[in-house]
Amino acid sequence: MLQGALAGLAAGGVYAVLGVCLTLMSRLVRVVNFAQAAAGMFGTYIAVWLVSNQGVPIWLATVVAVGCGAAISAAIGWVVSTWLSEADTSARSAVTVAVLLLLISLSFILFGNKPQPFRPILGGPAFQVSGVVISQVAVFTVTIAAVVAAASHALLTRTAVGIKLRALSERPTTAELIGIPAKLFGIAVWAATGAVGTLVIAIVAPSQSNDAIALSMLVVPAAAAALLGAFRRLDLAVVGGLALGVLQGAAAQMTELSVARHFLPFLFIVGLLVWFQRKEVWDAAR
Amino acid sequence: MRSLLGFTALTAAGALVLSACSEDGTAGGESGGTIVVGSVNTLSGSATFPEASEAAAAVFDAVNAEGGVNGYTIDYTIVDDKGDPAAAASAAREVVAQDEAVALVGSASLIECQVNADYYVQEDILSIPGIGVDPDCFTTPNIAPANVGPFHDMTLSLLYGSEELGLDNICALLEIAGNTLPAYKEAIQRWSDITGKELLYIDEEVPYGASDYTSYIVRAREAGCEAITVNPVEPDSIGQLKAAEQQGWDDVTWLLLTSVYSENYAEAVSETGNGVYVPAEFYPFTDSDSPETEEWRDLMVENDIDLTSFSQGGFLAATYFVEVLEGIEGDITRESVREALRSMEPIENPMVGTPYVFGPGDTHHDNTAGFPVQLQSGTNEWELAGDEWLHIPEEHLPGE
Repeated sequence: MLQGALAGLAAGGVYAVLGVCLTLMSRLVRVVNFAQAAAGMFGTYIAVWLVSNQGVPIWLATVVAVGCGAAISAAIGWVVSTWLSEADTSARSAVTVAVLLLLISLSFILFGNKPQPFRPILGGPAFQVSGVVISQVAVFTVTIAAVVAAASHALLTRTAVGIKLRALSERPTTAELIGIPAKLFGIAVWAATGAVGTLVIAIVAPSQSNDAIALSMLVVPAAAAALLGAFRRLDLAVVGGLALGVLQGAAAQMTELSVARHFLPFLFIVGLLVWFQRKEVWDAAR
Repeated sequence: MRSLLGFTALTAAGALVLSACSEDGTAGGESGGTIVVGSVNTLSGSATFPEASEAAAAVFDAVNAEGGVNGYTIDYTIVDDKGDPAAAASAAREVVAQDEAVALVGSASLIECQVNADYYVQEDILSIPGIGVDPDCFTTPNIAPANVGPFHDMTLSLLYGSEELGLDNICALLEIAGNTLPAYKEAIQRWSDITGKELLYIDEEVPYGASDYTSYIVRAREAGCEAITVNPVEPDSIGQLKAAEQQGWDDVTWLLLTSVYSENYAEAVSETGNGVYVPAEFYPFTDSDSPETEEWRDLMVENDIDLTSFSQGGFLAATYFVEVLEGIEGDITRESVREALRSMEPIENPMVGTPYVFGPGDTHHDNTAGFPVQLQSGTNEWELAGDEWLHIPEEHLPGE
């Protein structure tokens, strides 16, 4: 049981990082970015192509991948902030669903639908805790989740740029009127989350099954993680991601829970939604 | 998502039984000197199998170039089911009802048998898929694939693990889509009946297309499994091997199925523990100088078709079919083809360990031999793991 729970840490770390990215996007640019993991998948596929067809060293290919992921994300950001700047969150998020499907299809067209020969940057066990192996990838993903959440929190609360970003998210029109470049800031947020998302996917993809759909759909458990913090709190997004990973890992150890395993992220989402609504009066909730 | 597809397929199959009643059962094939042979394949979508029908087409082209069969030219029609049950149903109707095909040959699809088995019975048409995957390919009267299929393949894989490699604690991780669970359980039971051994445990709820399999691997290791048998698709198996590698589990043996026997898979994995073992459903194509595969290899290379198990299956289905056609006296029609296939003598081929026969049976699960191949760490190359076919003992086969 404990073994299984700890084994879920690597996956939980990925959910947490992507959950933090989703939370940042939701807070700062009013989007639930369904293409968050897909942009990372696409960047990573470009890296694999560079390594296996062009003989590029893996570290350089990973850098290129992160750049591509950031660029794809920035491009969506540009579209959203140019044509949908006044639209509500649902309309802006709907665009990202289209991009998710586009990126999956495009990866099939460009890279085929056979698994890619990924070579790991990080691999193997890092250390053991009472006989349980913690892999290097788990250490990396959990660390980067905490670092990204802490750094984002510090940036938003301690720096001038952070204050401007918060102003943009909370009073967009006022912020623009006092001369904060909304579009530029928005695209920068898109690019930054795109880069972080791609980095973590590029690191974990070689240690997991890595077809385009499996990687792109990492956004579902990530959204469950972000939901724990109501798409506002970064620390809870990290906790949510790790908890979900650990729960899934523990559930995989027990035959009795076998049916629930597949649906854990969904159960998590439904449970949280019900919890958030617990004090609502019936009519008011609608 | 993929298991949803399986459920949808089931529902569609049910709906088909109803809708098939309105189809009229015309027998075709009387368009002068040409007969239509159809094939339903998954050619687009997230998993595609184009090689089987390409290989069958190459066989028919070669036959046509030499004047056809008994004066008939073969018009081979390949249709795409897009991995979608509704498209699979209409694809079958296109070739059977509209093009009036005399038979279906060399199909390769994840869902086609399940969706169309009843329709083929209704229309009295027979199908020889190059690669049959779902249970209905092996348990219905009008379909008899050229390949072994994943179920007998799993029995063979377990037999190889326990009897040849001498492994004791074997665990099974099953990825179940649609209605395949009973067939896999039966395959495992058959192994138990033969060897008197039991699996350490079976996990029937391993998800398809998961991103991280670490927790399943950790459970298997904790339980003391020496070997794991899985019925994986390539990406999932790669994920499972990598999870074991991340855990530093370097002495596990993998008893897998032909679904992972490809050069692409060998390229994609580097650490395989004590090795990946697969009973190849056809004589291993990676043994590149073998006389067994020479005829097939020459034809594939000439037509620029990928060398895979799928193209072996398509080639064999078409080769068997042509041989049966050659024995038909008189007109080649759907009816005469049906009679010929049902009364055919077994056909031997060096690429299979069991002679092929369609026969009159209500089920067709008769290919029962695999050729063991292995993939060891760091080689990125499949090698032979034996020098003879591995057979399921006859007394343990269904109907024996």
